[in-house]
Amino acid sequence: MSNELIFLLLFLAPVVSSIPIALAYKNKGWTDKLPYLSVFGIFISVVMSIYILVNLDGQYTYSWIPDLGINFVFMIDYLSSYMGVITAVIAFFIAIYGLEYMKGDYRPSWYWFCFNLFTASMLLVVYSDNLFLLFVGWEGLGAASWGLIGHWFRDDDDIAYVGKAGRKVGPLEFSWPPSFGGWRAISTIRFGDVPMFLAIAAIWVFAGTLNISEINWHTLFITLGAAGTIILMVCLLMGLFTKSAQVPFCEWLMTAMTGPTTVSALLHSATMVAAGAFVFLKLTWYIEPWHMHDVPGVEYVFIFVLAIGLLSGFYGALCGTGMRERKVLLASSTMSSIGLMFAAAATSYWIEIEVAGMNLALLVAFWYMAIHAFAKASLFLVAGHLIHGTHSRFLCGDFEFGKRMKTAFAVTLIASSFLVGIPLLTAYWVKSSMDVLYEHLWHHHDMTLPLVLLIVISLLYSAVLAKFLSLNFIKGEKPKHEHLEGGGLMKLGYVLMVAMLFVISCGIILFEEAEHFRHAGGEVMSIGVGLAIFAVFVVAVYKPSISALSRFGSFLSDRMYLPYLNDYILPKIGFFISHILDDYVNPAIDGFFNTKVIPGLFGWTSRRVRSIQSGYLSRYINIVLGLVMIILVIVVILVRGVWQ
Amino acid sequence: MIMLYVLLLPLIVVCIAPLLSSKKATYLSAISFLLPFFAILYCILKGCTPEISIVTLSAPIGEIYLNFDYISHAFGLTICIVSAMVALYALPYMVHRFEEMELNVESEFKKYIFLYQFYAVSMLWLVYSGNLILLYVFLEIALITAFFLIYFYGYGNRQWVGQLYLIWSLIAGVLALAGIIIIGVTNGTLALNALVPPFATVGMIAWTLIFIGMVIELPVVGPHVWLPWAHAESPTPLSALLSPLTVGLAGYVLLRIALIDYSFIAAYRMPIIIYAIFSSIYAGFSVFKQTDFKRLLAYSTVSQMGYMLVALCLGPFGLVGLVIQYMSHAFGKSILFSSAGGIIAVHHGLRDLNKMGGLHDSIPTLSNAAVIGFLNLGGMLTIGMIGEFFILRGVVETFGISMKSLPILLAVIFMFILSVWYGFYTVRKVFYGKPKDTKRLEISRYYYVPLFIIGIVSVLFVFPPLSTALIPGLNSLIQTLMGLQVAAVGGVLP
Repeated sequence: MSNELIFLLLFLAPVVSSIPIALAYKNKGWTDKLPYLSVFGIFISVVMSIYILVNLDGQYTYSWIPDLGINFVFMIDYLSSYMGVITAVIAFFIAIYGLEYMKGDYRPSWYWFCFNLFTASMLLVVYSDNLFLLFVGWEGLGAASWGLIGHWFRDDDDIAYVGKAGRKVGPLEFSWPPSFGGWRAISTIRFGDVPMFLAIAAIWVFAGTLNISEINWHTLFITLGAAGTIILMVCLLMGLFTKSAQVPFCEWLMTAMTGPTTVSALLHSATMVAAGAFVFLKLTWYIEPWHMHDVPGVEYVFIFVLAIGLLSGFYGALCGTGMRERKVLLASSTMSSIGLMFAAAATSYWIEIEVAGMNLALLVAFWYMAIHAFAKASLFLVAGHLIHGTHSRFLCGDFEFGKRMKTAFAVTLIASSFLVGIPLLTAYWVKSSMDVLYEHLWHHHDMTLPLVLLIVISLLYSAVLAKFLSLNFIKGEKPKHEHLEGGGLMKLGYVLMVAMLFVISCGIILFEEAEHFRHAGGEVMSIGVGLAIFAVFVVAVYKPSISALSRFGSFLSDRMYLPYLNDYILPKIGFFISHILDDYVNPAIDGFFNTKVIPGLFGWTSRRVRSIQSGYLSRYINIVLGLVMIILVIVVILVRGVWQ
Repeated sequence: MIMLYVLLLPLIVVCIAPLLSSKKATYLSAISFLLPFFAILYCILKGCTPEISIVTLSAPIGEIYLNFDYISHAFGLTICIVSAMVALYALPYMVHRFEEMELNVESEFKKYIFLYQFYAVSMLWLVYSGNLILLYVFLEIALITAFFLIYFYGYGNRQWVGQLYLIWSLIAGVLALAGIIIIGVTNGTLALNALVPPFATVGMIAWTLIFIGMVIELPVVGPHVWLPWAHAESPTPLSALLSPLTVGLAGYVLLRIALIDYSFIAAYRMPIIIYAIFSSIYAGFSVFKQTDFKRLLAYSTVSQMGYMLVALCLGPFGLVGLVIQYMSHAFGKSILFSSAGGIIAVHHGLRDLNKMGGLHDSIPTLSNAAVIGFLNLGGMLTIGMIGEFFILRGVVETFGISMKSLPILLAVIFMFILSVWYGFYTVRKVFYGKPKDTKRLEISRYYYVPLFIIGIVSVLFVFPPLSTALIPGLNSLIQTLMGLQVAAVGGVLP
């Protein structure tokens, strides 16, 4: 098979296979059957991505607008070849789950079209080397995620809301419907996308190429100088941070939980939110910041990313401890994980340790991303099944319930314990290497705070997932409704998903580049942190909620009142400006030109002129006499002026 | 020569269409624009850019000819596809409108189709005019036909609105004409192929006159107040041409003049760009408060025209961005006005945003079309994306990346963000949320199929082969013309 065809199939199969269902939106018979075709389209992508992993390597270029350096350039390197498979596989498993979960939905065509468009866009982001092409995928993610989050546009089902309906905190109602979730997602994302686009345009100007792997980043940064570099990179990072829901752009991720659970799983595990972190990884991979200590400005950029990453990690994990909604809790923990990925990748500036020819910091960030993707997707899928089974989006479920939902229980146990870093389980090894990175910062660069924060985040994170496990299956309230029949495909979806964690474990045992993970797992500090995480996990499972702290908990579950920024302060400012402009300035200009002043002047002049023509003789005589008088006065003045 | 016949076709149809029944006339009109559309596409793909001379007059007019370069092609194909699709869309809409106005449908349709066709064809010929005086003539024809359409078939206080539109556009036109005459007198010709940079100059007075005229036509904040009236109260098929195509032609005129002599823009770049950004952001904020859907779209037009004026200030890449921005706005806004009209037709004159919400349930097709429209305006996934990219490149080339240029960069960024914000805000307000009526209404295919065709075209232009052919062509033409100017000045034109 030619390579061109491989790439065409990879990206187009999902999109093309979902066009039939989009066209058949009116016919219920077809929309029941055609989702299978859409899933098949994603399956083709899976096959292609595996083929690429095995057979292709290096850069592939197909022309688009070659004169301007805009081309279809795909880079098959370590990151993209694995990430491509991860993305496609996760999307495929979620799609299988979705076949049952979305059955009987009121607009299947919309859902499947957006779902597949989303998958294709993410694959584009993963593989493309050309920044413009990457941005096409990036915008596709934005648009498709808007469609998916706001999928239940009718806002008529409480199960799709985030926050308790009618609950007011101050003047603001802390409850968000799906259509609002979608709007907020796209407005936040767009806020970062345009600066990112500007940064890409700037790279186009100053580097002369758009291909990430061909840009001479060193020269580029030197040309721009310190201020230029910082502006460029911050603009670029705006796109990544908004997409990845880092502080303070994280609100959209919480309200994005208004989408169907499959969407939450897809968007918030391996794709959308990870896209920001992934692109950062990819850029850092080629920027090679560890060689840039002589370039002014670069250090600030990486400190900035480290700070934002750790701050988001801390904020997400802390808020997660107070959350009561299943999916929002998971979203909050996702945000925390993504923060850790950003932070780990940012440490590459100071880390020069190489493993199998690759920078350790980037490897850690990438492997953590992979583990997180499968674990979090499994948890989301379970959450969806629970929401179906209990008709509640709040945490609930006692041990009896847990026993009836054995598969879900087991999957949650595996996914959460494997993800938090309990010794010997998958994430432990990667987390150990992460500890080593931060220890390095502490010993060699006098940065203690990152290490402290990392440990605190890890502990909180462990507590959050343990709480999820406990309150859903062990110690939660008894669910009000239970209907547990069916769910075969859903179970299949999350069992397959969680099974991938074992595959990754094999990778940690076998792969050459995982050598450092294995080694770091044996360090005293890693073992200590791991055991502490384990202890917290056990305690949190045993005592998932502390009633004495409930007020603090609701402060946390209100995301420390950050929604005020998004829903109150900014809109108030915006609408105030609109109000001034449209209620005062526009009518004033309109009044001046169109309705009052100028038409009035014309009317006035016209009336004056017409009033002359009254038809009475006396009027004309008066006018003539008046004119004669005026002329006389003028003549007198002139004559006197001449004589003197 | 074939291109000439292809362009003559819609002109001939102006005379034939009124003789036919409404359905036949509509199809004839659509075909008469689709044929040129495909011809232009063929031209773009093959890279043929002929000039067809019609007649040569004495100075100061010079040669009158048709100019088929990439810029004209880009504008021309936009006009063709939008006019063709809106012609189809208008069939049920205008019939509905005539019935609403209690007029005789068949006889009124004859008047209407004549005006519509004449209006659209004059814009098409305008962009292919190789002579400024010819260009002016078509500008005026477009103006007058549009005036009649508003005057006869508009909504609300239509006669007043029609006159308002006529007066404003006449002021704009006369100012431009004065400028054009000055150009003709100083250079001895008005033919574009003779007005090439090293020899031709556009004096400061001529530039000022044309600039003010076209800025009124465009419009920017200040004189913008005529546009919400005209675009909101005109019959929707007219809105769907007026707003996407006609006002943007002011940008076309400015572009042509800038390609002759860029000195005016280079001299007053800062004030112009600040005004343009201000205008765009001002209009963007105004959008949020509108309660009439069509008026809302009209304000969004003002905001988008600000983009074009910004692009004008940004050197060669900005000018390429201007052309693409015109295309993307035309595609997007024609879809949006048509979907607004669809709501009016289907929901019995519904225009008030406060009474909308959840309309997606009754008219999913129009709702999805509107989303594509707003994607176009926001420059997401459609041709607008390339336009935005060029404009951003222009900003960087002109101002650089430094602390000093930061305010301008941020302002431009915010300007672009704003259009997606109001776009999706509007989508949510109009189409999503709790539906008042979940019954799906059966609507005529004419109302939505043409919109999706425009949408598909707007997406196709991002990808090969269309973008591969069009964008380098545009870029090299504009770079060459700007390069000549740089050579003439003997310096560096930023």
